[in-house]
Amino acid sequence: MKRSAKVTAPLLASLALSMTTGCRKPEMQRCVDENNKVVDDKLCASQPLAGDSQQQRPDGHGGYVPFIPLYHYYYGGWGGYGLGSLVGGGSNTPAEGHSYINSTGVRTGTVRGGFGRSMSSGSHGSGGAGE
Amino acid sequence: MQRAPITPRDDWQQKVSSAGLVFHSPEGEGMDRPYWDESACYEFTAAEIDTLEAAGNTLQQMCLEAAQHIIDRKRYAELGIPPEAIPAIQWAWNAEPPAIYGRFDVAYDGQGPPKLLEYNADTPTSLLEAAVIQWSWLEEQFPNRDQFNSIHEKLIAKWQDVAPYLSKPVYFAGLDNAEDQLTLAYLRDTADQAGLPTLSMWMEEIGWNAGRQAFVDPDEKQVFSLFKLYPWEMMLQEEFGPPLLDTYQSMRWIEPIWKMLFSNKGLLPILWELFPNHDLLLEAHFEGSGAVRDYVRKPLHSREGANITIVRDGQTVATTGGPYTGPAIVQALAPAASFPDNLKPGATRHPVLGLWMVDQECCGLGIRESSGLITDNLSSFVPHCFIS
Repeated sequence: MKRSAKVTAPLLASLALSMTTGCRKPEMQRCVDENNKVVDDKLCASQPLAGDSQQQRPDGHGGYVPFIPLYHYYYGGWGGYGLGSLVGGGSNTPAEGHSYINSTGVRTGTVRGGFGRSMSSGSHGSGGAGE
Repeated sequence: MQRAPITPRDDWQQKVSSAGLVFHSPEGEGMDRPYWDESACYEFTAAEIDTLEAAGNTLQQMCLEAAQHIIDRKRYAELGIPPEAIPAIQWAWNAEPPAIYGRFDVAYDGQGPPKLLEYNADTPTSLLEAAVIQWSWLEEQFPNRDQFNSIHEKLIAKWQDVAPYLSKPVYFAGLDNAEDQLTLAYLRDTADQAGLPTLSMWMEEIGWNAGRQAFVDPDEKQVFSLFKLYPWEMMLQEEFGPPLLDTYQSMRWIEPIWKMLFSNKGLLPILWELFPNHDLLLEAHFEGSGAVRDYVRKPLHSREGANITIVRDGQTVATTGGPYTGPAIVQALAPAASFPDNLKPGATRHPVLGLWMVDQECCGLGIRESSGLITDNLSSFVPHCFIS
C-alpha cells in the first residue's frame, strides 16, 4: 500500500470550521482618549471600568457621581498602535466572536510588519504566498 | 493513466469543507467547475505509479547535485540571488537545518517518461488536498483501490526526526489567506501529532527587537523555530530582510534559505547543463543563452502561472499577466498531456502532476488540471487512484 493508514487533522478541521463561521484574524485593541487618540495602554489598565466605580463630587457639596473614565479601550477599525495617532472605524465594545490583540510589542520597542507586505496587498495573484 | 468520469459523492461540498477544504468552489473567479473536482479521477497502473515515484526520487538527487554545483561555482547571480544572502545559504547548506517538504511539478500522460516542469520547494500548497482530502475521497469512493499518498505519515515522521534540532514551540506563520492558513493549519497538525508544541501567527505579527537582536512573537517571546509559508526572495526584499540574514544562524527557519536554489526557475537550465538530454528533463536555457524552437518563457521567480509565455513556431500561443519581471528562462514545451473533458464534449483537460517530497523521499501525488496549457490558481484539483 502506498497510502497513509490513517489521516487525522483536527486543527485543520477546526480552522476550516472557524473560517466558514466567520471567525477571522485578531483585530487591534488600543487604549484611546476622549478624542479617539491612542494613549499608553497603562492608562486604561489603571482605571476602573465605566459604571464600576464612583468619585466624590468636586464642587464640595458632598456626595458622589458616577466615574466617567478619561480613557477607554477601542476595538478594531483603522489606524495603528502609535501613541497620539487617530483611530476610527471600530467600536468601544468588543464584537462578539472577534478576537483582539493589544500593543504590547510596540511599547517595548519591537517593530512589527517587516514581513508580509510584498504579498498582502493582493498585488501578487490571489493574495496567497503558496504555489 | 486515464481520466475517468465518475459520479461525485452526495454532499461532497460539505464533506471536503468539514475536512478542511473550504475553498472548494471559488465564486466569481472565472472557473467553469469547482476547484475540487471529483466529477472525474485519474486512474493509474501500479507500474505508472512506480515510474512517478522513481522519477521524484531521481529528480531530488539531481537537484541536490545541482545545488552543490551552484554553490561550488558561485552561480548565484544567474538565479537572481542577492550577494548578501550567500553566506546564509552556504551556512545552511553545510549545517543542514531542518527542511520538510517540496513538490515537483511534472508533465506526464502515462506514455513517455515524466518531465520536470519546476520544483516548488519553498512554499508549496495544495498539500491538504493531496494529503487529506483525496485520501478521504478514496476511503469513501474506492476503498479497495490504492493511492500514491503517504504524505501524512511521512510528514509526522519528518517532524519527529527534526524535533531534537528545533527549539520549542515551533511557530507557523503566513498571510491572511484561506489557502495559506489551511496549509499551515495542516502542517501544524502534523507537527502536533509528532509531539511538537506549536503556535501560529501572521507574517505581519512577527516582531523584530533590535535591542535584543531577536525576532519575537506578539507576546514578546523570542522565536527560535519558525515555519514560514512565505517566499524567501520576498522576505529578503522586505524590511526585516537584513536582520534576518544577520541572525540567520541563531534561528531555525523552515524551509531553510538554501531552498532558494531549488524554488527558482534558474534551476532548470542548470539541471539541463549538468544532465543534458536526461529523460526526466526538458531542454532549458537562461533567456538569451540558448535557443529552443517551441518553448515556455518563465521569469525566475514567477508563481501560480503568472507572467508565462508559450511560443510555438515563433508565434506566441498563450501568455499570462502578472507582477513578475526580471530575468527569465526558456524551457522546451513538454509533450502535450491531454485527456477528454467529461463536462465539455470535445474539450480537453491538461493535467500537471505534483510529486510530493518529504525527507528526500517521493511519497505522494496530487493532480491539478486546466483547460489551457498554463496551470494557474484557477486550475482544478482532481483526485487519483491506482490498482495495486
